[in-house]
Order: sequence, then structure tokens, then C-alpha cells
Amino acid sequence: MTELVDLVIVGAGPAGMETAIVAAKMGVTVTIVDGYLQPGGQYYKQIPASFHSKDLTERHLQAEEIFHRLARTNVRLLTNTTAWDVFPDPNTAEWIVALCGPGAPDRLQAKALVLATGAYDRPIAFPGWTLPGVVTAGAVQTLLVTQRVLPGRRFLLSGTGPLQLQLASQLVHAGAEVVGVLEGAKPRLSYAPYAMSMWGQWARLREGWDYWRTLRRAHVPLRFGWSVVEARGKEEVQEVIIAKLDGDWQPISSTRQAIAVDTLAIGYGFIPSTELTRLLGCEHDYFPEQGGYVPRRDDEMQTSLRGVYAVGDGAGIGGAKLSRIEGRIAGLAVARQLGRLDEKMARAAIARQQPALARERRFAHMLGKLFTPGPGLYTLATDDTVICRCEEVTKKEVLGAITAASNTVTWVKRITRAGMGPCQGRMCGHLVAELIAQQTEQKISQISPDTVRPPVRPIPMGCLSGGSK
Amino acid sequence: MAIRIGKSDGDLPAVERGRSIIVHVDGKPVNAFEGETIAAVLLAENIRTFRHTAKTGEPRSLFCGIGICYECLVTVDGVPNTRACVTHVTEGMVIETYTEAES
Repeated sequence: MTELVDLVIVGAGPAGMETAIVAAKMGVTVTIVDGYLQPGGQYYKQIPASFHSKDLTERHLQAEEIFHRLARTNVRLLTNTTAWDVFPDPNTAEWIVALCGPGAPDRLQAKALVLATGAYDRPIAFPGWTLPGVVTAGAVQTLLVTQRVLPGRRFLLSGTGPLQLQLASQLVHAGAEVVGVLEGAKPRLSYAPYAMSMWGQWARLREGWDYWRTLRRAHVPLRFGWSVVEARGKEEVQEVIIAKLDGDWQPISSTRQAIAVDTLAIGYGFIPSTELTRLLGCEHDYFPEQGGYVPRRDDEMQTSLRGVYAVGDGAGIGGAKLSRIEGRIAGLAVARQLGRLDEKMARAAIARQQPALARERRFAHMLGKLFTPGPGLYTLATDDTVICRCEEVTKKEVLGAITAASNTVTWVKRITRAGMGPCQGRMCGHLVAELIAQQTEQKISQISPDTVRPPVRPIPMGCLSGGSK
Repeated sequence: MAIRIGKSDGDLPAVERGRSIIVHVDGKPVNAFEGETIAAVLLAENIRTFRHTAKTGEPRSLFCGIGICYECLVTVDGVPNTRACVTHVTEGMVIETYTEAES
């Protein structure tokens, strides 16, 4: 069964919700589809409905406010629902979104699409990275924030970016022992010009200061220019090897040290979820500071395809604040495209968002420039290190498939099965691309991402045939 | 090793968990709370290995924690390949950690 709507938004995080609220206010009929049980995305993730808390933190109040504004509109929210295919309807030039979820229609047909698909932790492969107890920083934070469960007692954090300080501070508050925070980047003189991007970011500076103080009080060492290079243990991680990094983030072997831990949290930034824009054939560009491949967009968040918009971290890593501004702009642009807002008013309303947009983009750009992993980190894996976790494909097997003539991610997938498992290359795609770049001495920006095919996520057979779920 | 956190400070206010329920993990009754994910319950029971892989028999567990990586797969009420990190427990749920068959 196909249902008609004006606008389908994929993703109910900050960007998707903000788009929905703005568009709905202008009279656009909106359906938001989200894979999780509750809206909010990663930034406004909630405790389960059966838990209770008197949460007066700034982030929670913001979440309540946006949920409340969304509830006052007539936006339809389909949670626990996977948007597994998107394609143009050949007869109408509208867009079809195939769904799988309890109570969801099989298909939605929309005049406009806003893809607000978010991002996920960028994993780095090193010996032992598949051991239980080696988890992404996002996994630890999700357990803490939504479940109030500490997945271990003795933590080491390794990665890059300010979120590591936030997580370390939360772990300390929760009573865990944090034996260290390793930041891969180190302060350089060439970063000085970026200091101006901090102007106006007072709340963020205040937050950072609070984390810093918490870590100081708990005597948590923070090391710049260091990283984990190996995890060891039998059934689970028991010890990690850390090392100092050179300017290319290549570990210096004479500096290796062992530290006993029961949990290693890795957080090397984020990868935008671009499978839907790639599936649609939107143009993409490679910007390391935005997380890799991102859809090319105009000033109003429209991709290279008319009627398809991309907002938030799924269109380039920028955080929740930027996501909401982009969402607002996309909501206005869609309302104008559908004739619900006249040209002049739309232009004026979008213009009003520009100062905030520019400020947040400057800040995101600074973070991206300062905290993007260098190429040396992609040399940590040894021959027998697994690169594709799903299909258990080792680095040696990946390298064995690369030749001068056949050197695409799609080719490696065909030969080795790397990227063919249930995560569909979300964990290993960038790792395979980095290995190809190293092996063939190309720039990483020259390596195309894997071809995306529907279903973009594993779904039950019943959904594929359009039958019962 | 893992623990449920009681009172807290900082930006993690204390929570009151959902109703206390019983689930079955590898044949053993286990206490859990409504709203918890399978991953949270297993970790709180000190079960760290959720499965062993087909090819090499390596242990695997929670990794991305947000439903993307499909590493934390367990069998739930007979349904294999269920993500422990995004599936909530329900009263009487039968959860099995497992070793994959070589395909």
C-alpha cells in the first residue's frame, strides 16, 4: 500500500525534527521515519518510557522543548521503522520511500524528501579491536545515558575530539575508574587562526571547562598525540598497548606502553550515514573534516537532485546545533517548493538563519580540522587483523584483492566479501578505502565509496515482498 | 564487571528503572527491568561474549551500541540475529548467546 504525503523525512534527530516542525507550520503534510523506538536521534537520546528521572540538564530541557513543539504539529512520526529503499516514481517525478516497521505503510510517496540520517562512530582497525570490551565511545555513552549501565570498571578512552572529555567526565561521575584519555591530535601553532571560531561559543567553552575540572579532580591523565595501537586478551580485553603518534598519526614504536583495563572506548570522530543519498545517485564530495563523503548541497540544503534535501550530521558532521539550523532552512525551502510559502518570505526567513549557520559552520570546520585522524592510524592493523568484522575478512585478504587495475571498494567487496555482511560496510568501508589508498598510493579522496543497493539495512523477508511484517 | 548505576551527579541524574521482570539467558532466570536493552541486561550479568563467530570462533560483543554494526547479535525467543543493543527485554523473554554455524 502506498500513501501520499507532501514530505518524508528520514531520521527523527535534531535536524529531522526541526525540519518537520517548520514545514508542518507552513501547512506541509509531513511523515518522519526513524529506525529507533523513540525519537531524538543520538543527541537527544532518551531513557526508555518505563524509566523515570527528574532530569533538569540543559540537553534534556532542549529535548523536551523540541518534542513538545513537534507534538503540537500534525506531523506523523513512524518510529521503529526502516526506510530501506528510495527511488523516483517514473510517472510523477515524486519520490517513493519503502518502509519496514510495525504499523507503517509499505511505501510513502512524497513530493519532497529530507534525509536527516545522522552519523555513527568511525572505527579504526587495530590488533584486538574485535575483542569484547573494546567498544565505541558512542556505545559507552548510550549505555550510560539511556540505560544507566557502566559496561566496565576500568576504562581507557582513545580517539579524538572534545566528546572524549565529555564521556570521561560522565564515567568519572558514574563512579568508573578512567585510567586515561588519549587524544590523537596535538596542539600545533598552525591551529592558532581557528581560535577565532571559539568566539561566541561561551556555553561550549563553559562545558569544556567543567569536563576538564572533573578530570583534573579525579586525576585522570589526558595525553595529546597518543593513541591505543593494540588490544590484548583471551575472551575479552585485559590490556591495551598505547603509543605516541608522530605528525601523521603514525605510532612511534619506541614509546609503546601496556596498560591494564577492562574496557577500551574508541572515538575517532564520526562517519555521516550517506547510504540514501548515495543510493539515489546524489553528487558527493570528500571532505575529511566533515567525516568523509557528503552530499553536495546548495544554500538551501537541496542535493543535486531536485526535491531531495540533506540536513544534519548525515550531510557532514557539525553537531546538533548546526543540524537544527539546517533543518529550519530545509523546512522553509520545502514549504516554498510546495507553494506553501511565497518566494519573498522564504528568502527573508532563510536569510535570518544565515548568521547562526555561518557561526556553527565555522565551529564545525574548526573541530573537523583539529580532530580528524591522520593516515598513520590506518596502518595499525597487521596482516591477520580483521577489517570486515561481519565477514571476518583480514587485512591480508583485502590487500590480496587489490591490484593496479582493480582497486575500488566495490571490487574488494566482490572478491573478499568485505562489506557484504549485515552492517553493509558501515564499519569497514572507509577502512578498505584507506587500505586501497595506501596500497595504490592514491589520495583517500580519489577512492569512491561502495555502491549502495537496497535494502540499505537488513530487513525481514516479509517486508521485501511487501507482505506482513 | 558491568554495573547498574544508582544515584549519580554531574549531567547524569538518577533514574528510577522500570518494573522488575525475569528473562531467561541461556536457560538461567535473570532479573531485569522493563525498558532495559538486552545488551544492558547481559552486561549487568557479567556476560561479555554475546556470540562466537562462524569462521574463526572469535568472541564478539557490543561494539557500536546504536544498532549499526550488527556485532551484538543474540537469539531472542527463537529469532536469530537480533541486535542486543536496540532490543528491549520483555517479561519471560528467552535470550540465547550462541556460536554461529559455518555457512
